[in-house]
Amino acid sequence: MQKKYVNKKNVITILVIFVLMPITLVASWYFGNRKYYLSSVLIMIYAMIPFFAGFERRKPEARDLVTLAVMSAIAAASRVAFIALPHFKPLVGITMISGMAFGPQAGFLTGAISGLVSNFIFGQGPWTPWQMFAYGMAGFISAWFFRLNIFDLNHKFRTAVISFLVVLGIIGPILDTCAVFTMAGEIDMKIVPAIYMSGIPVNIVHGTATALTLFFLGKPMMEKLDRIKIKYGMMETEEKVRVEEKNEVR
Amino acid sequence: MKRFSEYNPIINFMFYIGAILFGMFFVHPVFLFVSLAFAITFHVTIKGRESFRFITGLIMFACFLAAINPLINSRGEKVLFTYFGGRPYTMEALLYGFAISMMFVAVIIWFSTYNRIMTSDKFLYIFGRIAPSSSTVLTMTLRFVPNYKNKIIQLSNSRSSIGLGISGDKKQKIENALMIISSLITWAFEGGIVTADSMKSRGHGTGERTAFALYSFEAKDKALLILIIVLELITLICGIKGAAETEYTPKLHIQSTNSGYFVVGIIAYTLLLVIPTILNIMEEIRWRVSRSRI
Repeated sequence: MQKKYVNKKNVITILVIFVLMPITLVASWYFGNRKYYLSSVLIMIYAMIPFFAGFERRKPEARDLVTLAVMSAIAAASRVAFIALPHFKPLVGITMISGMAFGPQAGFLTGAISGLVSNFIFGQGPWTPWQMFAYGMAGFISAWFFRLNIFDLNHKFRTAVISFLVVLGIIGPILDTCAVFTMAGEIDMKIVPAIYMSGIPVNIVHGTATALTLFFLGKPMMEKLDRIKIKYGMMETEEKVRVEEKNEVR
Repeated sequence: MKRFSEYNPIINFMFYIGAILFGMFFVHPVFLFVSLAFAITFHVTIKGRESFRFITGLIMFACFLAAINPLINSRGEKVLFTYFGGRPYTMEALLYGFAISMMFVAVIIWFSTYNRIMTSDKFLYIFGRIAPSSSTVLTMTLRFVPNYKNKIIQLSNSRSSIGLGISGDKKQKIENALMIISSLITWAFEGGIVTADSMKSRGHGTGERTAFALYSFEAKDKALLILIIVLELITLICGIKGAAETEYTPKLHIQSTNSGYFVVGIIAYTLLLVIPTILNIMEEIRWRVSRSRI
């Protein structure tokens, strides 16, 4: 019984990666060389399916649902606090903290859902899947960096610098790739570096906002979230063991 | 008769899958024209006079994009003029720029109507059964966002009354704003835990999750859904068979309008895209007529 369930678990992921993705790639290859606009958006959507499917399979408790909703809503609403600083976007920073506190899956979902929700306010478009995926990756990466002790909140400065580099090197380029596929139409190798170059100033501002968020908020927020986790047992299944391990080491 | 937005959300969603995917796929000038034309007429039936300014602005921007495309892409046969000592500005690249920017405008206008038609509750109605847990999170998030925005404003006001508002130099502004986020988190989780406990004591997760919605599915909806799916399939098949085959650079090649697949494809595509406009106009006429009878 248990084994059957395990097999069933991966069906969606396997289907997406080994069936849907190749079909889309072959189709876009076969029907001419400039359908990247559409196929790139589809690939982004496929890339998110395994995360959401994994979350559905786990049959999450009410507390897990609420935790995710609270973190996503804070990430999406946080911009209101920065009206005085128009270019300061703390969304990625808060997603990263959520990833560190609640693990890779929760980190990804926080980013993806807050991206989707903020687009209900600012307007949906072909960029929505790209933003969802990019913000989701921010949460996912930071969760793994935290587990591998690359992100360490006792070394605030190091964490801030690395998060800046993550935005500059991974999250920003994913968002710029959206511009490559949607704006350029036909991919011309001469123009691609130009688009990435023109994205760098924006990414530097974005990365600075993320780094500052982690620098100032990282430790106090993690302490709050750890306390909530221990007191109320939120996101218990995945992260409880880890919290205990960490405490023992200390 | 109903307006397009009053039909079942599944119909709205099926229509937009077709309109947007095909809109992003076809670069044949006739297909582009059809997509753009009906995107505009539908936009006008929704937003009225307001939409003219939006659309003229977009089209001017598109013409600008079209004009700069040959600067990026220099492939093509017919050279209009050269610049920078020999770099060609070609006819084919200019036409391709036009096609791509018209596609861009059409998709933007379709999305602009999408944002009006597919409100978040309709989105949740569709995904509520496929992904119940994720949709629950999404519902809660959508409800929390305005709530937290108000709370942020409250916190900010009360902090500024003790001289800690979001003011001063940049460093102070950032620190104060982050303090507000920090206190928001504490408050939000306290509320969230109450919500979670309340959900649990009402039996969340004990049985199959059901979804409540006010959308009905009448015979009319069924007929329209079948019509939309059939038209989309015809367009898809004709598209695969090369109805809209078009190459701009390096050599201009546009599928002739005499080909059988082209004729069938463009008819199905036109009928598909005209549906929302027609429904809205018919409803408007009926409304005017019945009002003038009073």
